[in-house]
Parts: sequence; C-alpha cells; structure tokens
Amino acid sequence: MERRTLLKLGLAGGLALAAGAGLVALVKPGRKAGRLMAAGRAFYGAVARGVLGPLIPADPAAARPVLDAHLQRLEQAIAGMPPGVQAEIDELTTLACSAPGRLALIGLTVPWEDASPVQVEAALQALRHSSIALRQQVYQALRELTNAAFFADTGTWALMGYRGQRPVPNIPPA
Amino acid sequence: MTETIPDPIRAGLARGWKVLGGPHGTPPIELRCDVAIVGSGAGAGITAELLSGAGLAVVIIEEGPLRSSSDFRQLESEAYATLYQDSNGRKTADKAISIMQGRCVGGSTTVNWTSSFRTPPDTLAYWAEHFALPEMADGSMTPWFLQAEQRLNVGAWLVPPNANNHKLRVGAARLGISAPAILRNVKACWNLGSCGLGCPTNAKQSMLVTTIPAALDRGATLLVQTQAHTLELQAGRVQAVQCRPVAVNGAPGSGGTRVVARHVVVAGGAINSPALLLRSGLPDPHGRLGLRTFLHPVVATMSTFAERIEAWDGAPQTIYTDHFLETQPIDGPIGYKLEAPPLYPLISAIAMPGIGAGQAQVLERFPHTQALLALLRDGFHEQSPGGRVSIKGDGSPQLDYPITPFVWDGARRALLSMAEIQFAAGAERVMPLHEQATWTTNWKDARAQIERLPMAPYQTRVLSAHVMGGCGMAGQPELGVVRPDGRHWQVENLSVHDGSLFPTSIGANPQLSIYGLVNKLATGLARQLSGREVQLA
Repeated sequence: MERRTLLKLGLAGGLALAAGAGLVALVKPGRKAGRLMAAGRAFYGAVARGVLGPLIPADPAAARPVLDAHLQRLEQAIAGMPPGVQAEIDELTTLACSAPGRLALIGLTVPWEDASPVQVEAALQALRHSSIALRQQVYQALRELTNAAFFADTGTWALMGYRGQRPVPNIPPA
Repeated sequence: MTETIPDPIRAGLARGWKVLGGPHGTPPIELRCDVAIVGSGAGAGITAELLSGAGLAVVIIEEGPLRSSSDFRQLESEAYATLYQDSNGRKTADKAISIMQGRCVGGSTTVNWTSSFRTPPDTLAYWAEHFALPEMADGSMTPWFLQAEQRLNVGAWLVPPNANNHKLRVGAARLGISAPAILRNVKACWNLGSCGLGCPTNAKQSMLVTTIPAALDRGATLLVQTQAHTLELQAGRVQAVQCRPVAVNGAPGSGGTRVVARHVVVAGGAINSPALLLRSGLPDPHGRLGLRTFLHPVVATMSTFAERIEAWDGAPQTIYTDHFLETQPIDGPIGYKLEAPPLYPLISAIAMPGIGAGQAQVLERFPHTQALLALLRDGFHEQSPGGRVSIKGDGSPQLDYPITPFVWDGARRALLSMAEIQFAAGAERVMPLHEQATWTTNWKDARAQIERLPMAPYQTRVLSAHVMGGCGMAGQPELGVVRPDGRHWQVENLSVHDGSLFPTSIGANPQLSIYGLVNKLATGLARQLSGREVQLA
C-alpha cells in the first residue's frame, strides 16, 4: 500500500479523533498556496531541530535565523516537487500539525512549538525503529525533506567539511 | 585570460534550432511529422540521430527542461530540482526504494556517472533462451555496441582512479578479487567528478551534447516541458501523440499539442514508457505491460579512512568488480556488481542513516568517507520477478516493487562482501546503510553485525539508479510487449526504444546496453521508413 493511501487512512483517523473531541475546527492546513502556515512552521522547525541536532545552534536566538532560512528552503523544495508528491506532503503536514494526528502518528504529547529538541528526536527515533510501516515511512519522509532542504544551502557545506566541486572558469560560483 | 567553455546548446539555439515548449515558445496545436519520439534520453537520442539522418521529419517530445553546460553550476540543489524525476526523490509505491532517474533533455545520460559496459554475454544468452531472442546471443550485437562506443567516445580512462575508487581496487586486490577499470563515455574530461550534476564542460558524451544536437542540426523539432500524455489509437494504429505543457516540476499547464506521426517511438525511460502505454489503453492481450520492471536494487556500505578520501572529487565509478556475478550461475542465488559511487553532500546526508548527534558525527567525517555499492542483478530467477508499473488516479505512474527474500539474501551477502573489501583496503570503520547498524572497527565485528541485521524495507537503505523493463522484448507475443525489431506486438506503427525493452536487468550499468540495442533497432526502422541506410556519425 502506498503512503498516500496510508496517510489518507491516517488523516481520516485523525479527523475522527478530532471530531470526537470536538476539535475539528483546530485541524488546519500546514501549508497553503506554497507557503508554510504557522502550524507548519512550528512542525517543520521542531523536526529540523530533532533531525539536525547539534547542527542547529542550541541558543534560541541564534537558532532562529538558521531555522527561518531552512524553512524558506523547505518551502522552495516542496514547491519544486510534482503536484502528486506535494499533495502527499500536505496530507502528512496537516495530520502532524493537528493534536490528534501528532499524538497518534508521531507519538509526541506536547505541541510542536513547545517540544524540546530532545523530545522531538526521541519521537523521531521511535518512528524510525517502529514496527509499523506507516511510522517508518513518516520518519523517512521527514528526515529526507529536512536534510534535502538543509543541505541545499551551500552555507552548510562547512559542517560536512565539503569545499564544493572544483571551480570551472566562466561558470558563476555558488 | 579566462578560458571560455563553449555551450553547444545555446549556440544551437542561436543558429535557429527548432525548440519549443517552456521558455522557448508555445508549440502549435498540431504538428505533423514522419516520426514522433517520446523522450530524449539514451534510446531517444540514438533514434533521433539515425532517423533524422535518413531524411525523416522527427519531433522529439521531452517532459523535462532544456539545460546546458552554462546552467550546470555543480550544485545539487539546482541539479536535482531541474534534471531529475521528482527532484531526485522518486520512490517505489511503498517508498522503500529511492530511484534516481533523469528528467531533462538528454534524460538520465545528462546526469549519469559515465559508466559504460556492453550487455554481458550471459545476460544476452539468458534472453535468447528464455525470451526467444536467439539473435541477441549469436555475436551479431557486437558491431552495434562498437559503433555506439565510437560515436560516444567510450574508452579507457587512463587517469588514476580517485581515492574512493582506489580503495575498491586495493581492498579487492588484497582479497584476490579482480577489480578492473570502467570504460567511460567522455572526451577531454576535466576529472571534476560532477557528472551527476550535469557536466559543466561538455566532456561527457551524453545525448544532450551528441545525438540530440545532431538531430536538431538536421531540422528535427524538439518540444521541451511537454509531456506525451496519451497515444491516440485508431484502427489498431497510433494516429497521434496527445501532449500537454508541464512546468519544470511536472505541474500541468493549459493547452496542448497533437503530434500527428506516421510512426511513434516511445523512449521515455522505464516506468514512464510503460505508463504512457497503460494510460493510452494499448492492447496487452498477454498481460505483460508494466510487469518485469527491474531496478538493480542497490545496497551500500560506508567506511572511513584516516586519510581524506573526498569522494566527490574526480571521475566517479572508475573501478568495479564482477567477482560476485561470476562466481555463481546467472540463475542461481542473486549476484551483484560492486562499484564506488561519488558522494555529494546533500544526497549523502539523505542516504547515510541517523538523526541528531548521531547524524552529525557521521557527517563530520564526510571528507574521510568512502562508499561502496552493490547492484543486485534482478530478473534472472522466478523469485526475482521485479516490479509492476501501474497508473494512479491522476494518471501519473507508480512502480510497485516488493523486495523478495531471495533479493534480500543477496543484499545481505553484498553488504558482507563490501565490508570485507573496505577493511581489507585499510578502513578504520565500516557501517552498512541500515537503520540499526553501528560503526564496526574490524571485519569480524562487521560480519557479526551484518549477519544479524534484519533485511527489511525502511530498515535497509535500498536505492536504484537503473530502471529497466516493463515493455519487455521477446520473440513470441505471449512473452513480451515488443517484437525483436522493437515494434509493439499488437500496434504496428509503434516502437519502444529504451531501457524498458530489457526482459531482465542487465547486470551492469545500462546506458551502453540501450545505445547498442537501440542503434540496431533504429537503423532497421530508418531503413523501413525511408528506404535509406544510415549509421551513427
């Protein structure tokens, strides 16, 4: 079964939970018109801290511009994907941004904006080693999206000791 | 004085090449030609050069954009978003296998790593025996390969291998395993190692700089950012290709073009070619279409060395070993080919496992990291039937490829072989790309770890850069989709000329297999359609 279908099932389940709790109005899209909404920014910002760990400054003030730039690249990366893939990402984002979805799918008890990097990493590690295919798929998707956006920035190369490809004359450098 | 690298594409456009679509102008509602070619990669490029050389009016339909050396800034972020399927994030239906496949003018040849192997004789013999293709194994393919090699400058790479490849050679030698050099399709190569990002110096003899320009110089028309959506069938013949404009990310635009042709050659690459035929509702009386799609599933190990390896630098994949293909029968336990892939930072950060501090520690040693990969030779055993391409509700393709226990067995043996070679080469540490793996510091520990790791989706990292099959060739209609001459068994004026033809995987990087086979098929097609004899320039 493909992730899209699984996520649809998951989303339906999440919505049912939300409705049961009278919270359906709180299920908001994480991304709209190509831009991450506040909930989506909190979600992907927290995920970035969990995935990237010490590569993001611990000091919140120092981390803020790094995360802002990361989220901007993430928006661009998602917008560059085919419509079908974007739809899958949106389903995942919306579900994870809802409290029932966050609990049921990710297993994180605190809101994304309040979660510490340690809590987020622990939740991601649980997904990674889960016996449930859907949870492992979610882990892989979140990790891949995060790393793809973060390491797209040439400014991150130094963190890996990468100096770039050897330059070629008359081609503008990055 | 600054050296200037000529850009043959921009020069061609300035000369008046007929290129439409995307930023090059809206194509007309209808175009008429002798032959419409879907795709512009390995099979399409060879076909376009030969058919245009025969004086036939050719329209090439490419869904990706036209980019050239001036655009190739050696940046992953730009290359993946513009030159690869799904921003280099194409996946199997269950998301367990990541697939690297080109999506631009030149197709995968624009972004491949230049490895050039003829189809192995035992693969051709297997096709002869199991798919009623005796002409594949009688030696008659040799001149077709030779001609393609000459056209694309396939030859020995005499520069010493980079450190990443050198370790494969050293480790193999210490274990008594033969590890020869890989032939490459390059001309005056700068040894940059950026092949996967689009060659910035036009050294790689991809379709982008060879056959496609040759066809355009002869008056062919190239439609870019134009998707061949359906084949229009009438009275058992293809009447036209219904095309629609697409953005660089594949989002459909408005309008469309109907390309009316006497003959249609589908060469959009495996996955996309069977998908086009499925979407078009083509006859498939024996239920073969989309089946037997192969991936050469790849597993990999990484190692670190005391010295810097800088696996991003220098020609990628210049050393290989077929030891583990040759030590058992082709239809026995699955064999594998070993190579040393280039490591660019973004794709490596995705491929190497872990998050948080664990990931940061792995990436910190990136310049000292060396990697080996194993291409598993799928399709030669009943327990390795490959995958199946189908169409989703929105018309886009998906590949369902369940990895069988038979294939997983090969994955485990391959991880063992690679770890042993890396330690023999002097690695400090080795780790398979697996979610539960940890660094090991000696071969004994590595073997113990790999023997107990679960071989399972999402746990074992599985990749693919070689998609093959789905429109298999066979000498009998019940065994395949197309005939030995490349024509569709049920639709006379339709041919398939790409890697989707292969009845099994190749057991080697497939570009030269496509060039050689399509050289033969397109030469025959040119003769049939024009009455002229042609050959690659």
